[in-house]
Amino acid sequence: MDAKEVTTLIKDHVDEIKIVNDRCLFATTDKQRYREAMLALKTQDIQHIFTITGVDQGNTVEIIYHFDCCPALLNLKINLPKNDLIIPTITDIFPGATLYERELMEMLGVKVEGHPDPRRLFLPDDWPDGEYPLRKEWRERVK
Amino acid sequence: MTFVIPIGPQHPALKEPEFFRFEVKGEEIVNVDIRLGYAHRGIEEALSRRSYEHDVYLVERICGICNVVHTTTYCQAIEQLAGVEPPERAKYIRTLILELERIHSHLLWFGVAAYQIGFNTLFMLAWRDRECVMDLRELISGNRVTSATNTIGGIRRDAKPEHVPTILRGLDELERSTKYHIDLFNSDRTILARCTNVGVLTKNDARKFCAVGPLARASGVDADIRRDDPYAAYDKLSFDVITEREGDVWAKSMVRLREILESIRIARQAIKEMPSGPIRTKVNLEIPRNETIERTEAPRGELFYYALSNGTERPERVRVRTPTYANFASMKLMFVGGTVAEIPIVMWSIDPCFACNDRVALVDSHTGKTRTLTLEELRRWRH
Repeated sequence: MDAKEVTTLIKDHVDEIKIVNDRCLFATTDKQRYREAMLALKTQDIQHIFTITGVDQGNTVEIIYHFDCCPALLNLKINLPKNDLIIPTITDIFPGATLYERELMEMLGVKVEGHPDPRRLFLPDDWPDGEYPLRKEWRERVK
Repeated sequence: MTFVIPIGPQHPALKEPEFFRFEVKGEEIVNVDIRLGYAHRGIEEALSRRSYEHDVYLVERICGICNVVHTTTYCQAIEQLAGVEPPERAKYIRTLILELERIHSHLLWFGVAAYQIGFNTLFMLAWRDRECVMDLRELISGNRVTSATNTIGGIRRDAKPEHVPTILRGLDELERSTKYHIDLFNSDRTILARCTNVGVLTKNDARKFCAVGPLARASGVDADIRRDDPYAAYDKLSFDVITEREGDVWAKSMVRLREILESIRIARQAIKEMPSGPIRTKVNLEIPRNETIERTEAPRGELFYYALSNGTERPERVRVRTPTYANFASMKLMFVGGTVAEIPIVMWSIDPCFACNDRVALVDSHTGKTRTLTLEELRRWRH
């Protein structure tokens, strides 16, 4: 699907869509509707998730799911406030996201609810709890 | 009762440190658990603390084998953020070096794969042929491995016309030797016995667990970023995307070997059609807030970068997803049901790329339970 077809497919489940070109678009959704958007993608046989990116935006953490819609690449964003960093897992819809969600948990402190294997992935076992290396607070502290 | 075999972080079957815990029943593998992070260096955070230009050198050091594809992806991402287009000649030279890198990476993989099945003569032959492509890389970029060719807005060193005959001769030689390796892989009894029906990944599983690169193509997934989302000069060159159906170690090897022939074809076209002109555009590196994604086809599969700028000369965030990381999710499926003797070649069949760290796993011989020591415990153990 190209960017226009992806837009038609998910437009009811997202707020704002920015089409960069035929092969790339960014869309913003929220915690209530993101699963509907993903299920809509799944009905079109989209199975490939590139990765999940977490970005510390100050008061919020932005989670970006990157989907391959062949050929378009959909970047689906959700903003979570730092005092409520909880999001249900998407591994039931996209099993390929297992490792990316584990990384999101340990690097940015986002709690992924319902993850089948919520252990640490890259950080050592004796890494202190509550220290998230990709958070701005951490960067300020260890400067 | 199952028995646990720990492999790694340091083990003769691994070329780099990573930890694998195999549960076996007799000879059969029933479960596998993978522990990553022994080579984690915090590069994503380090990228946000340095300037765009400095980061080129840092991303080059993410991978010791495929460094050009990392710098190309990074530079293309930053060029998109800044809204500049590199000159055509730079794109062709990038393509040429990227394909030489693919040939070198596949031959390196092929040699070690031969070694993993106990075929040491073939290992030597493959690495002898790899020297040929390393020499070509040195000729073009001045260095065998870390070429430092790319820069934001183009490339740093021009290709010289007087080198063209040497490069073409080298490519002919590589074509001859690759065809010989393909014949060998189709006919040698030892290779067929060790590689067919081993470590199979089905097409459905490859898609479900988001496998990438030669691993996915060996299972029949027809995907290649060079064709699907062309970058550099790939949209102007013709080449085939190689796929196989079987999904076993043999198919993964065959995809890589046949890809070498395609890379030679691309390299020849790039040399022939290379336009003249400048090799670098000037870029203002105080980039206003913007975000972009960039994907390329590395030797091991799709490489993904996300970059976010914030108006300063440092990026706010750079996210890197390497192909080996994407392929770990489907690794378990290739092991379970196989035998212990298959572990080294199946592990190597995804062409894993790790690096180094510091812990130890203990296995209790009575219960078969493993426990990982922390760094602190390890220090105490030593005294």
